[in-house]
Amino acid sequence: MQREVGTLPLAPALRARLAAAGFQTAQELLDTGPCGLSKEIGISREEALEALQVVRQECHGDAARTAGGSGTTRKCTALELLEEEQTQGFIITFCSALDNILGGGVQLTKITEICGAPGVGKTQLCMQLAVDVQIPECFGGVAGEAVFIDTEGSFMVDRVVDIAAACVQHCHLIAEAQQEEDHQKALETFSLENILSHIYYFRCRDYTELLAQVYLLPEFLSEHSKVRLVVIDGIAFPFRHDFEDLSLRTRLLNGLAQQLIIIANDHRAAVVLTNQMTTRIGQSQSTLVPALGESWGHAATVRLIFHWDNSQRLATLYKSPSQKESTIAYHITSHGFRDVQPPAVTASTEGTELNPRKRPRTEEEKQ
Amino acid sequence: MAAKKLRRTQLSQEMCERLSRYQITTCQDFLCLSLLELMKVTGQSYYEVQKLLCKVSRACAPKMQTAYEMKLRKSVNPSSAFLSTTLHSLDRVLHGGVPCGSLTEITSPPGCGKTQFCIMLSVLATLPVSMGGLDGAVIYIDTESAFSAERLIEIAANRFPTYYDSDEKLLGMTRSIHLYRELTCCSVLKRIMSLEEEIILKKVKLIIIDSVASVVRKEFDTKLQGNLAERSNFLTRGASVLKYLAEEFSIPVILTNQITTSLSSGPGVRADLVSPADDLSLSE
Repeated sequence: MQREVGTLPLAPALRARLAAAGFQTAQELLDTGPCGLSKEIGISREEALEALQVVRQECHGDAARTAGGSGTTRKCTALELLEEEQTQGFIITFCSALDNILGGGVQLTKITEICGAPGVGKTQLCMQLAVDVQIPECFGGVAGEAVFIDTEGSFMVDRVVDIAAACVQHCHLIAEAQQEEDHQKALETFSLENILSHIYYFRCRDYTELLAQVYLLPEFLSEHSKVRLVVIDGIAFPFRHDFEDLSLRTRLLNGLAQQLIIIANDHRAAVVLTNQMTTRIGQSQSTLVPALGESWGHAATVRLIFHWDNSQRLATLYKSPSQKESTIAYHITSHGFRDVQPPAVTASTEGTELNPRKRPRTEEEKQ
Repeated sequence: MAAKKLRRTQLSQEMCERLSRYQITTCQDFLCLSLLELMKVTGQSYYEVQKLLCKVSRACAPKMQTAYEMKLRKSVNPSSAFLSTTLHSLDRVLHGGVPCGSLTEITSPPGCGKTQFCIMLSVLATLPVSMGGLDGAVIYIDTESAFSAERLIEIAANRFPTYYDSDEKLLGMTRSIHLYRELTCCSVLKRIMSLEEEIILKKVKLIIIDSVASVVRKEFDTKLQGNLAERSNFLTRGASVLKYLAEEFSIPVILTNQITTSLSSGPGVRADLVSPADDLSLSE
């Protein structure tokens, strides 16, 4: 109630007038009432009423916060957080080594960033996750939908069809092996058509469209409340050209990061971003580092770096609040993202043939 | 979409006039400002400004499609998804041929046949659809002056003697291949920007740029400070325009690249891996 007038979210012109008229705290405004306010400042009664309603809303929010109730800021003990985290699902990647180093898979409510050189498998992992997020709960998934924001145009529907078909087949095999009721029921809705219909695809051509889309995301996610994954494939690409003013770029990226954190928390969704690598020229050597600069490194909670070692693809967990830094090898097969050695109990098809559409490292032709 | 004027969004007339006094006329200018700046500029309260942001965002955000709709659209027209290269093993590995709607890069050391391959693809693109072609014109941007019209006719006459059996047919084919000689990065970029209208006017079905690497390596010495940033700026701008053209018109775009040696970091300087030049910047 003692809140100063200058901190209220009113229009700047109105605030200036209130300050000129001598009002200092919100309580004074509420005591004056709309008619008195309109006479003193010289605005219409309707405008005065609107302003007072805003003030009342703000003060109510403040009071709730100081009383420790449930306001817009969340307050809870670490024990409550622990219980929440333990019941939270992970989005598996179908590569058990990668799931292990991540602590179970891609975590919900966190931002995961995947960096890597071109062709190493970032978009493949994103497409795999967009399918895996839809796995029904009885098979260990989170039964959610996916939003795919593409800035580079590397989303291939045919590839998603392949990955989804392999995933459905895998679930069918599990269901046959375990013979449980709810498995059969879940499989009825887990079909290729359904999976594809629940991947919402947006193609953003430049950073303005990307900004606009992220501003509209909260509304979209409120309408489609089952979305549990937001993928932005290529957050670096629209920001790497046409930017003479680097400070503007940093500001926009930080704003973007904040909005994504809010979206991840409010809607219990996982946010996955892919980043490019750039060369940092040192004194005697040059190294590959993730693009977009140092300050962007703070945006993501978990950072994975994909790289090559001769012809083997490796994934390194570079930054994580709870897991140890480690490196594992993975494979991209025609069924999608997989381990290097398939586990003993496996589907009847081999999983380690190289995808014919994916070029091997020696041949330099690429889609 | 970014340059869309605010006048054409849902904002009121007076709001647009007020914003233009601060030089904010396009959606891009509006969305680059923070909330506090927007409050100052529009003179509205916090919640009002958020509503304005949503209005402007809705005007320039992309449309949503589900993956299922995309698949249905593709399956309606399957034959136009690829340009077959007529090399059967290559077509098998590429799952049909050079894909329409995306960029394809061809790289090799000098003398391996990149330009020959491009010339052959130009011939293939002008063939009618029944013979596996795209029945359209070709835009060939040549930066190395390596294109030979005689070789083009030789390939066409020898490869498809039954179709190109008369001189008029051969001349007709050559008329639909538009060659542009560009020798600097700047002119290449300008040419790429002007392609949209040419594609519609001349019914172009294939774009070939031979080669990107030669102009870039001529003009940008990566050992000099600042050149690396400018080079990647040029490449990403060109790449984004080409991607837009490829997707919009569903045509294949072919780029050729050169090979360079990537020196490994460590004591001494050894020529280790051989990797395509511009690998990291262009190929996304």
